[in-house]
Formats: sequence, C-alpha cells, structure tokens
Amino acid sequence: MSAKTSKILHTEDWLAVWIGFIIIAVGLVAVLTGAFDFSALKFKTWTVGEQLTGAAAAKAVPLGQQLASGAFWLKMLLTAAVLGVLFTVGAKLTGEKVSRFVPAFVGVFLLSVVVRLVSAEFTLNRYLEWAFWALIVGMLISNTVGTPKWLKPAVRTEFYIKTGLVVMGFSVLFSNIAKFGLYGLGIAWMVTPVVILFMWWFGTKVLKMDNKPLVITMASATSVCGTSAAIASGAASNCKKDDLTMTISISIIFTVLMMVFEPLIIRAFGMSPIMGGALIGGTVDSTGAVAVAGSVLGGEAEKAAVLVKMIQNILIGFIAFFVALFFATRVDRKSGQKVGAGEIWTRFPKFIIGFFVASLVASFVVLPLAGADQVKAVNGVLDQYKNWCFVLAFVSIGLDTNFRDIARQMKGGKPLWLYIVGQTFNIVLTFAMVWFLLSGAVFPIPTLD
Amino acid sequence: MRHPKRSLTAGSIAALIVGAVVLGAAVYIMVNGLGLNPDLDFGAGAYYYADIPDYQQTLDWDSYTARLPFVVYLLLFLAWGFLMWCIWKRLDRKQ
Repeated sequence: MSAKTSKILHTEDWLAVWIGFIIIAVGLVAVLTGAFDFSALKFKTWTVGEQLTGAAAAKAVPLGQQLASGAFWLKMLLTAAVLGVLFTVGAKLTGEKVSRFVPAFVGVFLLSVVVRLVSAEFTLNRYLEWAFWALIVGMLISNTVGTPKWLKPAVRTEFYIKTGLVVMGFSVLFSNIAKFGLYGLGIAWMVTPVVILFMWWFGTKVLKMDNKPLVITMASATSVCGTSAAIASGAASNCKKDDLTMTISISIIFTVLMMVFEPLIIRAFGMSPIMGGALIGGTVDSTGAVAVAGSVLGGEAEKAAVLVKMIQNILIGFIAFFVALFFATRVDRKSGQKVGAGEIWTRFPKFIIGFFVASLVASFVVLPLAGADQVKAVNGVLDQYKNWCFVLAFVSIGLDTNFRDIARQMKGGKPLWLYIVGQTFNIVLTFAMVWFLLSGAVFPIPTLD
Repeated sequence: MRHPKRSLTAGSIAALIVGAVVLGAAVYIMVNGLGLNPDLDFGAGAYYYADIPDYQQTLDWDSYTARLPFVVYLLLFLAWGFLMWCIWKRLDRKQ
C-alpha cells in the first residue's frame, strides 16, 4: 500500500471524512427511498414539575412513558450500533485494539445517553442543552473519582468532532446566502468577518493573548453562531480542549441573557420589528434563541431574525475553511519560513474538505435534484447523528479536563473581556448595518410575506 | 517545580465580578423560566437551525423573494470574503 493510500485510510482526519460520508449516504438513501428509518435516538422533552402551556405542553412526554416504549430502545440500539461499528472500525484503522476500544466506547456512549437524557428536561433543554451538560458530566467524573483507565481508548474528542462536522456540512446550504437578498448579505456577511478581524486584533494586539486558537474560536462563536461555529473553528485551528470548553460555556451563558434582554431593549428603543429582528439574528448566538427572541417582537421580527441567522449558519463552512488555511499558512509556520503548496496540503485539516464536499453536494446536487423538502428531511435525520458525535466529543473533553487547567486559561479574565468587547462591537456594527439597510432612510424597507 | 505566585489584577477582579453577575442572572432567568415562548417548543439550547424541532415547518425561511440572480449574491459574497482575507493577512503581518 502506498504512503498516500495509507494516509487516507489510517489517519483520524481522513477517517472522520469517510465515516461522515457513510452516515450522510445512508441518511440520503433512507429518506429518498423511504425504505427504512435511519433516525437516531432523541429524547422527547420531559419535566420535573414545571407547569407547561401551549406547544411545549403538547410535546412533553413523561420520562417513564418514553423509557417504556419499545421504539425508544430500538432507536437506542440503532444509534449505538451505527456509531459503535463506524468508530470501532475507525479506531482499529488508526492502530487501536478493538478489545480495548469497544468497552471504552460503550462507557462513553452510556455517559452520552445520560447527558442527552438530562438535557432533554424542559428547563435544561430550553436554555443549555447537550454541550453544557456533556462537559459537566465529563468533568464531574474526571475531577472527582478520576477518568477510569479502561475508558480512555474511547476518549477521542477530535475524532468525534471532525466526524460530526462532516455530517453537519450537509446542512450548510449555499443557496441560503440569497434568502434575504442584499439585506441579509449586508447584515450577516459584511458584519461577521469584520467582527472576527476586530476580535483577532483586540485579542492578539490589545489583550496580548498568545493563544491564537482561543482568540479565533471565541471570535467565530461571537460573530457567527455560538456553539456550532466554535466547534468548527476550534477544530480548524486545532485549539485545546480547555479553549473550546471556555468559549462554549461563555457563549451559552451570554446567549441566555441576550435572548431575554435584547428584545426588551429593542422594544424600549422603539425600533421597528424588521430592524429589531435583523439585529437579533445578527447578534444572538444560538439559532433557537434567535427565533424565540425574535418572536417576542412579533411575526415579522421573527422572520427577519431567522433569515439573517440562516445566512450566518452557512458562514460556518467558509469561516472554518479560511481559519484552517490561515493557521496552516501563517500561524503554524516558523518565522521567515516559506510554506509551499505541498506543506499547506500536509498541514491542512482534511475533515474541512469533507465538510465542504458535503455542503457542495447538498447545495448543488441533492437540492436541485430532490428539492428543498427532501433535503430538509435528510437534515432532520442527520442532525441527530451530528449531535451524538458532538455529545461523545464533549463528554470526552470533560473526561480529559481539569478544573485547574480551565482556571489557568482564564489569564486575568482575558477570554471573558474578549467576548464582552467583541460582542459589544458586534451589536454596534450590526445595528449600524441594520439601520443603513432596513430603516428606510437609504434603501426601501423589504416586505416579508 | 514551584509556580510563581500570581496576584489578582484589576482586570481579573472585574472579570470575576462580571462573571458572577452574568452567571447569577442566567440562573435567575432559568429558574424563573424567563424569555421563553410557550408556542415554540425550543429555546437557546437549539444551537443550530437543524436542532429546532420540526424546523422544516417551524422556521419561516422562504418569506423573502430575492430580486437579483443568485450569481450576483455569490460574487458579492466571494468578493467580500476575499477582501476580508487580504485584510486579515495584512493585520497579522503588522503584529
């Protein structure tokens, strides 16, 4: 076997691409033919005594009822089997012993099941969800009883993250850049890279942070769409686990606040619904929080918020690609060293290519051939596999993280200041663009049906 | 190996205070269920658009009809991205 063939079959980067492609391919066949159900396990919302009304009440299912259902256990088996087999083969090809990997994977998977169960509880599901609880569960174990040695072969954060990102690539549809015409492009795409550059400058020059992967991960989370963007940029820049933990924790906590306070402030200032919605879409990190905060201002605001956020969602791929290229050509090189095309290729994280190919196939092959509804249905299936990969990754991060390491990473609160200053800049710049495009002073105000 | 003794700077004390206030406010919001819409079956925990339950029906993302051909948006998108890439490289060189 040549060295080249050996690399594409035996390195974690390439294996993540192949595993991601297999999941996407099976998902596509399942949905397009309707021959079988490939959807992974997802806990329905359950409560611990909260009084629910409206849609939330209609969709909550008591935990006991969920666990008593045969379909639930079948889905659990399917999810464990699909991910277990694929990751075991992957681990074997990277040189891991199957006899060590299988019990370890079962352990990490069961911890992930606990995480998904906990994060499906009504209040926890609404505000925090899996990323936060996966870190907490992992860290509780590693910082109390310690991570058992037998579990360590399956603590493979990067492998799971890269695979999840390739699967996620299929949901990044290029056609969405035109969803809100020049208005959306202006608010989402003109502002986002400027905020990233500002935070890069502020973090490296003003705060003098020498941890560049942390700076770019934080900048992407702030300007693009929180957790998902942090995962993509963090993997592209090869950031440390603690950096990702910190970025995501800060982003999640601030999103809870922004979801509640931003609509109130917008209303207090008397901004029009379309302007308020676009401002929310451009500045609140998570997509769910954007839709909820937008809905507080009315239907038109919710539509504008979602349209802007949709465009930001597709930016994840571009940002991750250029972050990987930037780090391969500039950050990781020695001073004065010229980096040739071969060296760039060697350093470039290959899973980004898988991510991009998945996105291109979805946008320019499957979408025109099968239609938007089918692509949405496929993504409905793939999203849960993406989430399971990310939950496995975040449990692994938690199992590998020491509280003291995180405290050390805080370095005088610099990451927090980077987020706060960056987010403030993001809000000011987005507001300026929203006013320029949607106030009616310069351009006609668009109509949303 | 002994670690050098670290002193608390004004920045780190301010960060501690801000962090505690933010965390306290987030806990208060969660305990009291603030900011949620009872008609929407999700919240800030849906990080990505596909995480939103039944997002195919829930998200109204075809509410605007773009007037220009797709290629115009694509070219503007790429041109702005290229400009930002050049600025980023320049910004990094100056440091």
